[in-house]
Amino acid sequence: MKKNTRNTIRFLFTVNAILLGLSMSATVSATHFPEPGDPIAGAKLWATTCSRCHNARDPADLRDDQWISTAFHMRVRAGLTGQQTRDVLTFMQNSNVPISVEPLVFKGNTQPGSEASNLSGSEVYAQTCIACHGSNGKGSVPGAPNFTDPQGVLSQSDELLFSRVKNGFKSPGSAMAMPPKGGNNKLNDADIRAVIEYMKKSY
Amino acid sequence: MKIMNHNFRRRLLVLAIMTSLPFSAAADDKYDLLQKQVELLQQQLQELQNSLQAYQDEMKVKEVQVEESVTQLKQDVAEAEEWKHSDTLVHLAGYADVGYTSSSGSDGSFSVGRFAPIFHYQYRDIVMLESELEIIVGENGETDVVLEYLTIDYFLNDYVALIAGKFLSPVGQFRQNIHPSWINKLASAPPGFGHDGAAPTSDVGLQARGGFHLGSVFTNYAAYISNGPELNSTADGDEFELEGIVAEGLSNDADGEKVIGGRLGFIPIPSLELGFSVAMGKATVTAVEVGHGEEEVYAEKFITDLQGLVGIRSPGAGDPGDGDPGFDLHDEQARNYDVLGMDFVWTLGGIQVRGEYVKSKVGAATSGLTASSGASWESWYTQASYLLPQTKFEPSVRYTDFNSPHSSQDQRQWAMGVNYLISNSVIAKLTYEFNEGQAGSTADINRWLVQLAYGF
Repeated sequence: MKKNTRNTIRFLFTVNAILLGLSMSATVSATHFPEPGDPIAGAKLWATTCSRCHNARDPADLRDDQWISTAFHMRVRAGLTGQQTRDVLTFMQNSNVPISVEPLVFKGNTQPGSEASNLSGSEVYAQTCIACHGSNGKGSVPGAPNFTDPQGVLSQSDELLFSRVKNGFKSPGSAMAMPPKGGNNKLNDADIRAVIEYMKKSY
Repeated sequence: MKIMNHNFRRRLLVLAIMTSLPFSAAADDKYDLLQKQVELLQQQLQELQNSLQAYQDEMKVKEVQVEESVTQLKQDVAEAEEWKHSDTLVHLAGYADVGYTSSSGSDGSFSVGRFAPIFHYQYRDIVMLESELEIIVGENGETDVVLEYLTIDYFLNDYVALIAGKFLSPVGQFRQNIHPSWINKLASAPPGFGHDGAAPTSDVGLQARGGFHLGSVFTNYAAYISNGPELNSTADGDEFELEGIVAEGLSNDADGEKVIGGRLGFIPIPSLELGFSVAMGKATVTAVEVGHGEEEVYAEKFITDLQGLVGIRSPGAGDPGDGDPGFDLHDEQARNYDVLGMDFVWTLGGIQVRGEYVKSKVGAATSGLTASSGASWESWYTQASYLLPQTKFEPSVRYTDFNSPHSSQDQRQWAMGVNYLISNSVIAKLTYEFNEGQAGSTADINRWLVQLAYGF
């Protein structure tokens, strides 16, 4: 009888430990869904797919968790694949930080610092900027400025452009904002300086 | 000699004692001073020890307070993270619109268009429950609530999502994606694409949706099986005629005949999408309206039996609930039901051009009380809009041609207007409709529409 009691207690303890372990592992894994996607692919999808039905929503419209449900709702509506859904979601979550209407003037050193750019300006433009600004720089989504305008945004100082690319910018009166770093958080300061130099030379 | 030495020693001793006396007195003073200093130091040490003890006691209290604060902070952070990282997400989206309509020959009126909340309950990236209500205030002040759709979506893998429940019809684009007022570029739906038109609105059944790459062309798809629609017939004496298709997502399949259908979309380049839709199955007359014309239609519905057959009868044909249906619809013949649709959309910067064609065809019935020839409903529209560069103004124009078996429903419409984008999902619209239909019918009345639409 005593042996049976001990075995029962041992069994219950083991089951309890397993359940506790499972619940803890479930809690840990629950913090990561869905898996991160590719924000660069997401930016291109956002710029081309959403506007086939409706005005593209500003990433800053919703919080990260709200974008999850919205992205999965749109997966069903637009017939997206799971990977496309994750890509767009990651881009929106990277891009929904608040944007100031007033330009945030960068007061630091605009010269290259310790960070080195791994990409050329044209590579940065082709990967990150082209989705909204187009290959010809005239803008492929409503609200994107025309880079070829001699009096346009590229006539501004490097310091101001650097600040706007790094921190994001919403033109007064515009319905859309450019997210910080174009939604690509992997860009460093040197990448931004390289792409500004590329745009000023090319357009 | 000895005496002399003895005296000398005595004097020497006295001298030594005499000279040592002052030193002895000085030593005593130093000793006293030192003793006082030691006592003072002991006192200071004691005071220091007391202060240290008091400080340690105070620190212990503060440590407890800090521990409590840290515990509280960790709890607050955990609770904040709990919301951000829960397994289940709850989200409210949807749209609403309000407006003003002024038709030729009548006074204008303000209106509450609709409030359409969409509820999302999502379990990780596996399952999502979606439901949209449409809440409308009628002309007489009554509030109508309609379940536009309610589905549970199971994301089987990256390419397939299984949808079960009541869903918006995937035939074409307007009903499933374009009809929300913050998306529709004009303040009204194109004729034939609203409720009771040529395009089916919703269905109850099972659907698979998703997308995949076909070489360099991206393809999206939707395939479904559903209860399908039911049919209305009108009675004019002994003659019956098909009145309309009730494709509003019925949760009852009165004839037991299922409908299958779907849409295949091709995106050869990111700015262009082409879609082809079909649906086929059977549909049966389950309701009869008496007489033609809007004023002669009676709307007294009642269930005739457990199969859910519905009759609409004229006054005097029996009392509701007395078992007399007015019309016996048990032996109605299931008719062929076929839908064909095509759609396209092309975008370039702020320019959007879209178009859609849909035809719903019902076959003839040779037996049953309401036996009659078949009928078809057909509509198409094409629409262009342009968001003017660096502005918030968006002119839009649309042409629609709707053909029905009933001449009073036929309508050709030019709709044009201008939108102002307060934000990309809050839009003010001004639309004017040039309508051409049967003289004297509502389809022939031009009207102004002002609408403020909010997508959230």
